[in-house]
Parts: sequence; structure tokens; C-alpha cells
Amino acid sequence: MPDWNKLVQESLAPYQSPAHREEVVAELAAHFEETYEAARSQGLTEPAALELTLQEVKDWRALSASIHRAKSEEDPMNHRTKSLWLPTLLTLLGASVSLMATQLLGVQPRLVWIQGMGLTLYWPWLAGLPLCGALGAYLSQRAHGPLRARLAAGLSPAVIMLIVMLLILPWGLAIDGFHFLRLVGFGLGLANWVALPGIALLIGALPFLHDPAETGTLRSTT
Amino acid sequence: MTKRIRSKIARGSGELAILAILAEQPLYGFEISKQIGERTAGALKFTLASLYPLLYDMEKRGWVEGRWQANHAGRDRRYYRLTPAGRRQLAPLRQEWRTFFQALDTLAGVSHA
Repeated sequence: MPDWNKLVQESLAPYQSPAHREEVVAELAAHFEETYEAARSQGLTEPAALELTLQEVKDWRALSASIHRAKSEEDPMNHRTKSLWLPTLLTLLGASVSLMATQLLGVQPRLVWIQGMGLTLYWPWLAGLPLCGALGAYLSQRAHGPLRARLAAGLSPAVIMLIVMLLILPWGLAIDGFHFLRLVGFGLGLANWVALPGIALLIGALPFLHDPAETGTLRSTT
Repeated sequence: MTKRIRSKIARGSGELAILAILAEQPLYGFEISKQIGERTAGALKFTLASLYPLLYDMEKRGWVEGRWQANHAGRDRRYYRLTPAGRRQLAPLRQEWRTFFQALDTLAGVSHA
């Protein structure tokens, strides 16, 4: 028979509140144990009983987050604040401050000319953006944020820029009229302020997009 | 029906089922899910993943109280019992669901389906 305590211990997210962890692990392990024994007493083979028992939990990360929410004294609004809004705010702050610092330190942007239009690339800023993406995704992951919250927090500076540019475009076209070059300029702006920063942020966020609770779940039962 | 509404219905029915079964006697998690499954002929089924977050949430709200004690086989299990607050919740919840099913019956004739 598998070591149910070990299975639950390893499968529940490592950041599960230590105050309740031991008790929760013991209780869930006991439930697994009885489910397995009931399946065996119905004549199921060991592998079949094990498979049936493991079906009790399909998503360990979601279970861990639900238990954390149920055990904590916070309301759902606080959870969303901690898993989405706060990481997003800090990522935005980090990206903005690092861009300001780059400019204040007198780092000159590298101009790349495309069809007579210049792209101003702040390479040092772009090189530092993975740290901002990592910060946002990490904070969201630590607060049990779902994948979309971790992505949103990590990529927030690029997403905000995209929204701003999409809002500005119709104004520019309305005021100056439609010019092909304006659209090319818009495309370059998208590459400059959305696509490239987005890629840099995503690189930083990637290590925090996986679910730590899934690691080793099945391996530990065999 | 949106996923959100379905989820609320599932949660509400889960709370009522647990309160109703604990009103009869204190039980631990596995027994709660087993009895609910058996008594509803499998129509209501709690997995570990659906049961414990709900139990812990109900415990936080003061409706149930968990306490470790040995079961009939001498193993330590966390038994849940209704608190007075939980008992007070049961009657209005029952009434709420009765009204809900009557409304659904009037609308869709579910009791004759």
C-alpha cells in the first residue's frame, strides 16, 4: 500500500500554511487510505484500487489553493488582491522605475532604422525586464494565483502598453488622417513597447508558470 | 447556465447535504462522503477534492466543528459535528432549496419528468 502521508505531503503545495499543514495532511491521508481499502475490499486489484483512489484529486494545486482559502481568515477579495493586483502593481512599478533609471543614468537608446523610421531600443531595460516578469509571476504563484493570474501579473507592463497603444491609434488616425507610414510606425511601436518587452517578461515569468504541487505526485505512489 | 451558477448550486447543495447528514450524528470525512453517496444512490458524490475545502470552509464559518478521536477500528479520525450555529443554518437552507425546487418544478415540471 502506498505511503498516503508521503503522497499528500508531497502533493500539497509547499507553501500551504504550516499552521494547518500537519492536520490537513493527516486527514487527507486517512481519507485516501480508507478509499483505497474500500476499493480493495470490493475486489479491485491493487493497481485498480490505486488508480481509483488517486482519482479523488485531479488537480492538486487547485485543491491546495481551495484548502488554503478555506483555512485562512481572508475573504476572496483579499486573495485576488494578493494573487493578481499586488503582483501586477509591483511588476508595473518595477518596469517603470527601471526604465526611468535607465533614462536618468543617461543610457542612450539604440536606434534601429526600419524604412526610415527609428526604433528606440533600451537594451539595458529590456535585459532587466525578465526580472520584473519573474517577480510578478512569483508573487502571484506564492499567493496561489491561477495560471492566468500569474501570466497577467508577469506580462502586465506589455499588456498595459498594448491597451494604451490600441486606445491611441484611433485618435492618431482621426486627427492626422490615414497614412500608411503611420500604420508602419504603429507596428514598430508595437514591436518596441509590446512584443519585445512581452517576450522579455515572459522569459522571466516562465519558471513560475508551472504548478509546483504536481511535481512527484504519481511517482511517490509507486 | 453559466459555470459560476452551476458552481454555486453545487456548493449550496453540498453544504445542505453535509449539514443534514451531520445533524443525525458526528462523522468523519470519508464517512460523510460514503453516506451521502449511498443514501442518494450515487446522485450526489463527494470526492476528497470537493469535500474537504467545503468542510474547512463550513468549519471557519462556525457551522461544524472538527475533533480528532478514534473510530470503531481504533484509528484516529477527525469527526465533524454540527455546532448550534450550523443547526440554525439547516432550517433556512432547507426552506431555500424547497422553494428553489418548487419554482423549478412550476417552470419545468421536473418532479414529473
